Amino acid sequence: MLRKKTCVAMLLAGGQGSRLGILTKKVAKPAVPYGGKYRIIDFPLSNCTNSGIDTVGVLTQYQPLELNAYIGSGAPWDLDISNGGVFVLPPYQKGKSGEWYRGTANAIYQNIAFIEQYNPDYVLILSGDHIYKMDYNAMLNYHIRHGADATIAVREVPWEEASRFGIMNTDSDDKIVEFEEKPKNPKSNKASMGVYIFTWSKLRHYLEEDEADKKSSNDFGKNIIPNMLNDKQVIVAYSFNGYWKDVGTIESLWEANMDLLEKPMPIDMHDKRWRIFAKNPGMAPHYIAKGATVKDSLITEGCEVYGNVNHSVLFAGVIIEEGAKVESSVIMPGSVIKRGAVVRRAIVAENAVVGPGAFVGEETGNIAVIGTGITLPAGVSIPAGQQVDEEYTF
Amino acid sequence: MKDVMGLIYTGENDARLRELTVTRAIAAMPVAGRYRVIDFLVSSMVNGGMKNIGVITQKNYHSLMDHLGSGKEWDLHGKHNGLHILPPFLTRENVGLYPGLLDALRSNNNFLIRSKQETLVLSNSNIIYNARLDELVQYYRDTNADITLLYTKDPSMKRDEYGTYLAIDKSGNVTDMEVLPTHPGYDNIFMEVLVIKRELLRDLVDKAVSHGLHSMDKDIILRLVQDKSAKINAYEYKGKCWQIDSVQSYFKFNMDILDPEMRKGLFRDELPVFTKVRDEMPACYGDNATVINSLVADGCQIDGIVENSVLFRGVKIAPEAHVKNCIIMQDGQVHEGAYIENCILDKQAVIKRNARLIGPDAYPIVIGKDVVI
Repeated sequence: MLRKKTCVAMLLAGGQGSRLGILTKKVAKPAVPYGGKYRIIDFPLSNCTNSGIDTVGVLTQYQPLELNAYIGSGAPWDLDISNGGVFVLPPYQKGKSGEWYRGTANAIYQNIAFIEQYNPDYVLILSGDHIYKMDYNAMLNYHIRHGADATIAVREVPWEEASRFGIMNTDSDDKIVEFEEKPKNPKSNKASMGVYIFTWSKLRHYLEEDEADKKSSNDFGKNIIPNMLNDKQVIVAYSFNGYWKDVGTIESLWEANMDLLEKPMPIDMHDKRWRIFAKNPGMAPHYIAKGATVKDSLITEGCEVYGNVNHSVLFAGVIIEEGAKVESSVIMPGSVIKRGAVVRRAIVAENAVVGPGAFVGEETGNIAVIGTGITLPAGVSIPAGQQVDEEYTF
Repeated sequence: MKDVMGLIYTGENDARLRELTVTRAIAAMPVAGRYRVIDFLVSSMVNGGMKNIGVITQKNYHSLMDHLGSGKEWDLHGKHNGLHILPPFLTRENVGLYPGLLDALRSNNNFLIRSKQETLVLSNSNIIYNARLDELVQYYRDTNADITLLYTKDPSMKRDEYGTYLAIDKSGNVTDMEVLPTHPGYDNIFMEVLVIKRELLRDLVDKAVSHGLHSMDKDIILRLVQDKSAKINAYEYKGKCWQIDSVQSYFKFNMDILDPEMRKGLFRDELPVFTKVRDEMPACYGDNATVINSLVADGCQIDGIVENSVLFRGVKIAPEAHVKNCIIMQDGQVHEGAYIENCILDKQAVIKRNARLIGPDAYPIVIGKDVVI
């Protein structure tokens, strides 16, 4: 018998993240590296631990191998405990039926049995798409204080961008009166962050009702929330004003990395009380050689820099050879930039090699991407915005 | 390698390390930007397949216990085996400090009885190495030795009045030994790491201690070599190793490790070195940072000039500060306009604005923990 939990978190990590192009060809989006030593999923998982939520289900179905290996026992996030912890939940066969997760709501519906084991009062729904530090416990207290059936975290976005988001129209008590998905003429600029807290008994009821509706697309934003509003359930908006960045596209992933080089840093990564935990590669401190120059950059363990690095983020074990130049770029774990190569405005994925004298990216234009494990021959030129994977011909 | 256990003795606390070991054992000394000396030993043992490891502690073992914790970072938190920290306790025979390694082993007889492994690797903790201990144990088994000693021919390890030196014949057997010679006559330096059967060790220790003897090298191994009553051979460690027993040798190790070749000799891909993780973000370099030939750990914030130095996790170098030939431990700070050269800053030491501190080349200045200058 498992002991009761007040709140269980369910992290939706099943999406392909196709807008990240070749970066998510072999890994799920939450496993994409970010910020020199993290993966996107480190943010929601660390937020859970720091918020005192110690039971997290991670729902996967797209390319889960790397994500599963990364999560492992959950030890980096202190989630390797006996009553609770982190669980990877792929879809599975049930009796005669068995199917993929059809939508965000269906994914939770298929895991009702998992949640029920902990008999929770509340369920927190998260996604693995954003970089942010948020106290879910404060949001839970808000939910309880307002006697809400559901609480949706919202963020004020610039008015001109509001029509790209799911917008919450609220009354003076922060109660949501209307939800509009990508409205042409937005009445509010409060956008949903995709972070929800539900009173579990209510959510369970609406999930079952939604599942019975064959026409439903089984989605929280499109079905569950509108159905609850129709039934006059109490849904409140919880305002979040901290740093929040979608990393769903190549450009936004690159931007989010560059944000860490801003002064002051828009997201405080030095805060000892709210650490972002990550699996540690166990490498020696990095080395900056004589003759190297490093400015305005983030560099982590295992790197060896003999060349020039400016305004860039280097992940574990990256080697920048003599005479190589890296500018405004993100170089992911284990990649090597050979002698005399120039990399500008680019993302170089894991274990890639940029050959001697090669050129990647340009000073302006879109971000160039070199895929995982790709070796660029000496002297080639990769233009801005180009994505290089196995199928690319030089 | 299931049948092998490890035992590390952390008795030393050398006065020649001055302030650095006032609050810690040598095994707990911070080295190479993010490690403690003991990380190399425990990692070697874990990489060699050992799952039951005892650490005999003596003086100032608090920082060691804090660092090792449950042994999770080394995957040593198993149910049956795992990491065992063995602090001293009062017994009839032991009423204070261990006079020597043998007394420490005698006191921990119970741990040896309870352990299930037949073979044991015993290591001291003042030499940094990263060895294939599985190969050492294989050699011990293949040669049917009673004791196999690990040794090095690294000339920098050979020093007057220090250490134990071995004469080895063609078949690898030890034919003579010098313990603490004024001028060493042999070039094979014993690394204070050996393989022995657990029961044989207990037996030898028991006999020696009951005759009032204290030294493993002099009172057990040397005697066995001289009476030829046991087969004692030696296995050469060809990697890099460093003795840490004075401020100079501590400084030298950290400076040596700046050399990429030396680093490769210690940090080998197949032998990762594990340590306690601090979850710091990557090091941040400012617009005016200048860094030359230095090792920098995560969590550092560098806006000034850093030359030939080792910066541990969380160190801050302010704009226009200049650091040359220094070792700055965890969370140290050097403020605007300060200049320091040939200094070792212990944890959380702070050098205030415009301070100047220059140590002589051969004798670095040591700034104690939490000191503000």
